[in-house]
Amino acid sequence: MRLRPTPADLLAFAAAAAVVAALHLHAWGGGGPVVTARVETPAGTRLLPLDRPGTYRVQGALGESVLEVREGAVRFVDSPCRAKVCVRSGWARAAGDLVACLPNGVVVTLTGPGGEYDAINF
Amino acid sequence: MKAPATGQAAPPGITPLRPEREDLRVAALAALAVALHVLEAALPSPVPGMKPGLANVVTLLALVRFGWRTAAWVAALRVVVSGLVLGTFLSPTFLLSAGGAAAALGALGLAVRCPGRGFSPLGLGLVAAMAHMGGQLLVAWALFVPHPAVALLAAPLMTAAAAFGTLSGIIAWRILAQEEATEQA
Repeated sequence: MRLRPTPADLLAFAAAAAVVAALHLHAWGGGGPVVTARVETPAGTRLLPLDRPGTYRVQGALGESVLEVREGAVRFVDSPCRAKVCVRSGWARAAGDLVACLPNGVVVTLTGPGGEYDAINF
Repeated sequence: MKAPATGQAAPPGITPLRPEREDLRVAALAALAVALHVLEAALPSPVPGMKPGLANVVTLLALVRFGWRTAAWVAALRVVVSGLVLGTFLSPTFLLSAGGAAAALGALGLAVRCPGRGFSPLGLGLVAAMAHMGGQLLVAWALFVPHPAVALLAAPLMTAAAAFGTLSGIIAWRILAQEEATEQA
């Protein structure tokens, strides 16, 4: 029996190569920003894509909170609260991260794949 | 247990069981496959589930020489007996093994019906290995780890399956070629 690949063999090899390539692309390929900031305010909810740097102003219960988006992360720059816990929380960049200004009623949650909690314990 | 001497009439009320040629063939091939399977289980593996799968060479040989039915018997016996020997019978490992073997047999059943020149042992080995790993991953995903991360594990595992499947195909082809040469001599 000589080893001559048949057309069906070649087809199988092409299909296998395609499947493997697709799986690797899926596994390693980043493919753009996957994390989005969900900003909840008393007035409603809006989404901030983290690939667009900039400064955003949102209206809260006390006044205007200022959010900054840079390098795939988001933070509070200013907020009309007293303690400034939100500003001192710093940057949030991973899915599942959360920064909030509770007095102003502004909650920023980062959503994306892998952001689901396995468990939360207090 | 003592084997009854051939030609001796069985005592009344006892149905004599005479293994036919096909039974002996299946038993011999399955024993070979079990030995390979158990030996391989002792090999360390970099990623869980990554194994050369040399026992599949036996399935391929059975398929090419004796047809799909024989191959199915050999594969099923291999999975069950290896499970018993390794102590994994009915455990998750066993279910993964069985799922993979079933998928591989299904794919091989389709492959041998391929019109034209069909698949060579090379293609059959590749198809069987890919189907085996695919079936295994599906079982893992459906029964044990219903998490999208299984797709991430699929990349290295399917790559290995393609490589090892081709390797099994080459081994099966060489054995078949040698048998053919021996028969012609």
